[in-house]
Amino acid sequence: MALLELHEVSRHFTLPRSILDMVTGQPAAMLQAVRDVTLSVAAGETIGIVGESGCGKSTLARVVAGLQPPDAGKVVFDGEVIDGPDRRGRIQMVFQDPYSSLNPRMTVGALLNEVVARYRKDLSRNERRQEVADTLRRVGLLPDMAEKFPHALSGGQRQRVSIARALCPEPRILVADEPVSALDASVQAQVINLFQRLSVEQGITIIFISHDMQVIRHLCSRVAVMYLGEVVELQATEDLFARPMHPYTRGLIDAVPDVKRRGKGDRRPVTGEMPDPFLQIDGCRFAGRCPDVGSRCAERQNLRTLADSISVRCWKAGRITEALESTSAQKERPKENGND
Amino acid sequence: MDGVSFDVEPGEIFGIVGESGCGKSATCRSILRLFGGADARISGGEVLLEGRGDLLAMSERDLGEIRGKDVAFIFQDPLTTLNPTMRVGRQIAEVIERHSKVSRRDARSMALELLRDVHVTSPERRLDAWPHELSGGLRQRIVIAMALALRPRLIIADEPTTALDVTVQEQILRLLLERRQETGTAIILVTHDLGVVSEVCDRVAVMYGGRLVEVGTTDEVLDRPRHPYTRALLAALPSLAMRGQALTPIEGAPPSLISPPSGCRFAARCPWAEDNCRIGPPPPLERHDSAGLGHVDACLLEC
Repeated sequence: MALLELHEVSRHFTLPRSILDMVTGQPAAMLQAVRDVTLSVAAGETIGIVGESGCGKSTLARVVAGLQPPDAGKVVFDGEVIDGPDRRGRIQMVFQDPYSSLNPRMTVGALLNEVVARYRKDLSRNERRQEVADTLRRVGLLPDMAEKFPHALSGGQRQRVSIARALCPEPRILVADEPVSALDASVQAQVINLFQRLSVEQGITIIFISHDMQVIRHLCSRVAVMYLGEVVELQATEDLFARPMHPYTRGLIDAVPDVKRRGKGDRRPVTGEMPDPFLQIDGCRFAGRCPDVGSRCAERQNLRTLADSISVRCWKAGRITEALESTSAQKERPKENGND
Repeated sequence: MDGVSFDVEPGEIFGIVGESGCGKSATCRSILRLFGGADARISGGEVLLEGRGDLLAMSERDLGEIRGKDVAFIFQDPLTTLNPTMRVGRQIAEVIERHSKVSRRDARSMALELLRDVHVTSPERRLDAWPHELSGGLRQRIVIAMALALRPRLIIADEPTTALDVTVQEQILRLLLERRQETGTAIILVTHDLGVVSEVCDRVAVMYGGRLVEVGTTDEVLDRPRHPYTRALLAALPSLAMRGQALTPIEGAPPSLISPPSGCRFAARCPWAEDNCRIGPPPPLERHDSAGLGHVDACLLEC
């Protein structure tokens, strides 16, 4: 059974109305940050959520962590519907900026001890200190780091302290929102390795949110691609990069500068820009930028399951696979006959 | 920055790549002495611009003539470059008016032409837009239009796409490539992203601890990196690693630039460093026997 399930989760925000709008009776502008997201996360897996700014990935992270209630749909964790942050701290968040997410007036030890004291009330003072030292070791830091203040740490160390803090309540799930985006490449590698270790050695489920396709590709076993609040594609990582089904995924992959590809090859990166998120778009939200718009794109698109573990929000996508499947099936048929 | 030497050919895209604090921004700001009030001093060296002599020896007034006209600058954040209280068309026109005698009306139609060149959709309407009304990508297009306004021979772009989404970044990089093709301007592109370097740069300089450690054609440097820092930087990239495999981070931290260590600045983090590496002045950029043409690096060891 899935550890975490999202059922048709939606979340919108409304802007405060100006006086002019109130006088003229204009409705408040509404932004659909997350729309109709259904996703199931298995225990121990690392799932990536990728998309560009404004696609709703951070809002989704906050909904999963219980920091923001969905206004439609539900999030089920370990069989129970989430209605706020988990009291036992079993879902923890790691934020992008370790500079603003660590209190500058507390030592690293005090920061971690605070969390341990809150969730592990059975521990004595000494046991708590031991727990803090152990947690620091888990993230690859020396226990004497506990005496230091955040400003004395490098960016990579700071982000590891944030991860250590998230690990203190012994969470089942880590929701990491752009945890390596603020780091230099050499330091980024340390933190990426740490996430990998937490997953492989300690079996922690990780929801890894990033705009960086390369990092996602390296770390995650499955990827959900978001565009304007919706999941447009969900596939196993290898398949997603080898055979992207949604035109947005394809264009996104082609837009990533890649040391290996070095500008060569036939690329069709996404053209145009993200539409105004306040616009109400009833049909496919990507249609305005899609290179392959067809008749049914003005209709509302649903996330459809094509084959095992492939979901796409594009009515055309399946037809291409079906066509491919039927041609490959035709090729295989004579062989079967021969075997008979 | 310390002892940085490189040359840029006409029409070339020259990348300067390095991590935060390596001195890459200071390097390109030194070219035009753009330090924005910071207490920075250039203690030695020359910046030679074809036909104009040494920019560092030039008076502030003469350099003002060069800025924008011969050498233009594109900053990372277009919002701080653009004046928030002026419509974008006026801002572009003002750049043109400052350096050439044209009527306001002609300047405006030239601005319109520039917006077309950088593929701004419905350019007539955008001329009268305020910077805050535009998306990040559009703003950067406006900044590029301003940089192109006086047909400079060199554009210095300091992390021009770092604040942008990846699909917008791709469009802006393509635009820079296309404008280079059309106008023949040379571009110095400063970035932290080796992927960006690989997509657009003809040659690249790798910078570490205020010094250049390797310079060569993009293919040479990325395919046959010589300096241990360049190798380490490539090994840390997730795009080159196998999925599930651990990446190789660079242990330790960059050196202090307030009191830099003697010898090679990377020695403290270098797995191959020998005693020789830690003494004397930092090693100079040299071409080693097995290196390709024009490929130099600042490592004492032949590895």
